[in-house]
Amino acid sequence: MALTLTMPPVQPGQDAVALFEAHRAAIRRQKLTANLLLLGGFLVMLFWSIDVSRFWPESLIAGVPRIFEYFGSVMPTLQWDLLFAGANAEGRFPQGSIGFWYNDFWTYLSLIWETILMAITSTLIATALAVVLSFLAARNLTPAPWVGVVARRFLEFCRGVPEILFALVFVFAVGIGPLAGILAITIHATGALGKLFSEVNENASMRPVDGLTAVGGTWAQRMRYGVLPQVLPNFTSYALWRFEINVRAAAVVGFVGGGGIGQELNHVISFYSDDRVTAVLILVVLTVTLIDLVSERARHALIGKESLK
Amino acid sequence: MLEFRKLTKEFNGKRAVSDVTLSIPAGQMVGVIGRSGAGKSTLLRMINRLNDASSGQLLHEGREITALTGRDLRQWRNECAMVFQQFNLVGRLNVLTNVMSGRLFHHGFGTSMLGLFSARERAFAIRALDRLGMAHVALQQTDTLSGGQQQRVAIARALVQEPKILLADEPIASLDPLNAKIVMDALRAINTEDGLTVICNLHTLDTARHYCDRIIGMQDGRVVFDGTAAQLTDRMAREIYGAEAAEAFNEALTSTSLGGARPAPAVVAV
Ligand SMILES: Nc1ncnc2c1ncn2[C@@H]1O[C@H](COP(=O)(O)OP(=O)(O)OP(=O)(O)O)[C@@H](O)[C@H]1O
Ligand SMILES: [Mg+2]
Repeated sequence: MALTLTMPPVQPGQDAVALFEAHRAAIRRQKLTANLLLLGGFLVMLFWSIDVSRFWPESLIAGVPRIFEYFGSVMPTLQWDLLFAGANAEGRFPQGSIGFWYNDFWTYLSLIWETILMAITSTLIATALAVVLSFLAARNLTPAPWVGVVARRFLEFCRGVPEILFALVFVFAVGIGPLAGILAITIHATGALGKLFSEVNENASMRPVDGLTAVGGTWAQRMRYGVLPQVLPNFTSYALWRFEINVRAAAVVGFVGGGGIGQELNHVISFYSDDRVTAVLILVVLTVTLIDLVSERARHALIGKESLK
Repeated sequence: MLEFRKLTKEFNGKRAVSDVTLSIPAGQMVGVIGRSGAGKSTLLRMINRLNDASSGQLLHEGREITALTGRDLRQWRNECAMVFQQFNLVGRLNVLTNVMSGRLFHHGFGTSMLGLFSARERAFAIRALDRLGMAHVALQQTDTLSGGQQQRVAIARALVQEPKILLADEPIASLDPLNAKIVMDALRAINTEDGLTVICNLHTLDTARHYCDRIIGMQDGRVVFDGTAAQLTDRMAREIYGAEAAEAFNEALTSTSLGGARPAPAVVAV
């Protein structure tokens, strides 16, 4: 029997306190049963997933050293005395120097720059598309219910398919290179941002929109003047956050030919598996961290400015 | 001339406005009174089609308003400006942009999306603001203004529409008595000086009596009184307000400051 929080009315002659304590005990018993059932269900799922993924202690113990083994093989061999040694007459660095390890430094750097540009381009295009689609998709703003349904399904499709899959398709369609990667990231980011934006739109006040309807404004004018000023700070913050994600995505789509540093990383992993892997990895991690830090600062500054108002 | 013919509005089968037949000649200042839920807002919002009538007709100079669509409908909305109880301005835009948004009907897609307003439109907006004593805050963000100031900005926006009719849905219900007087004086001045038809929903009886040529009393969606302030007896008013009579009369008392000898001109010192 399911109990409600409201207890039956106290009848004359009954003690309210005793009645309440009995009611409270019953409710606590009921909650305990529910929690135990939940815990049981959780444990079943946990062991099931361990079984499926073979997350056994033995395979972990066997696997972990292999990870270190791999990293050992891609570690650079550096010698203290040669660390900052310059290039010789033929322009070659001695083995054991940073110069030797990062022989292709400028190639890596230009590829990282390409990766960042890919992220910027796709974030800008995706944001523009997402803004328009989010107005169509928001339940309170959509020009017609069916338009809203179509826009929402479209956005779901865009964010439902992972970038890497889109990238594979576009590499096939437009060839290897950053264009394929940009297209892939743009579509996925449009879906993700469009959903977030439309949720922001659904919380916007409709009063200014009513005001602009009464002025004789078109749908586009109502969105531009009535909604956009309200939601713009939130949109900017989400777009910056998406930029951080897109930098990482741009580094990954290269693995399937989508351009950027990922393509080089894939290359050095599959062909050499030597210290060049760490050389690239370190640069990628540094770039991503740096961008995350800067963008996070910008977002907090934005939010801080908002909350002061 | 605005003609209502058996205008009716139902929300989920419940009648909010019921068989309203009226005619309002151009240039009249009309006050609509009635208790909460009587259908005043719905009636007003059917005029500019923020609400669509369920049945009946509305005609303006012989044109059937209830049948307008698309650009014709937007043109009509541009012709009958509206002022709201909660101002319905865009708080995050500056005052000037809010006022110039009253010109949006005359803009195409490109100029309005880019926010390109002409110097002439700017001048027009500043003049409208100045008329309401608000030109000095033109570049201020709108939500930093007080309620009374925002309502004056909203009236300036309505003015730049160059409307024929001005609809006001409880324009002073969220204002203090002094600001209420400023706003009502401005509406009256627009009516007398510019010859605009003003239709105004009012909660307090005294304000309606003081400012309006004609009072329309509504009860449960029906028009139960239509006449001059002098014709509206206390008994009649009590019936219109029903259980809210005490409040409506009481508010009338507290806002007697509104009842100056004559409505003052709209140019108000700030
Ligand atoms: N969008 C809506 N959906 C459903 N019912 C509505 C809607 N708008 C108004 N109503 C109903 O219609 C009736 C009339 O409402 P209306 O807002 O016109 O009254 P009012 O006279 O303006 O009241 P108030 O003084 O409270 O503003 C009310 O019963 C209200 O509940
Ligand atoms: Mg109302």
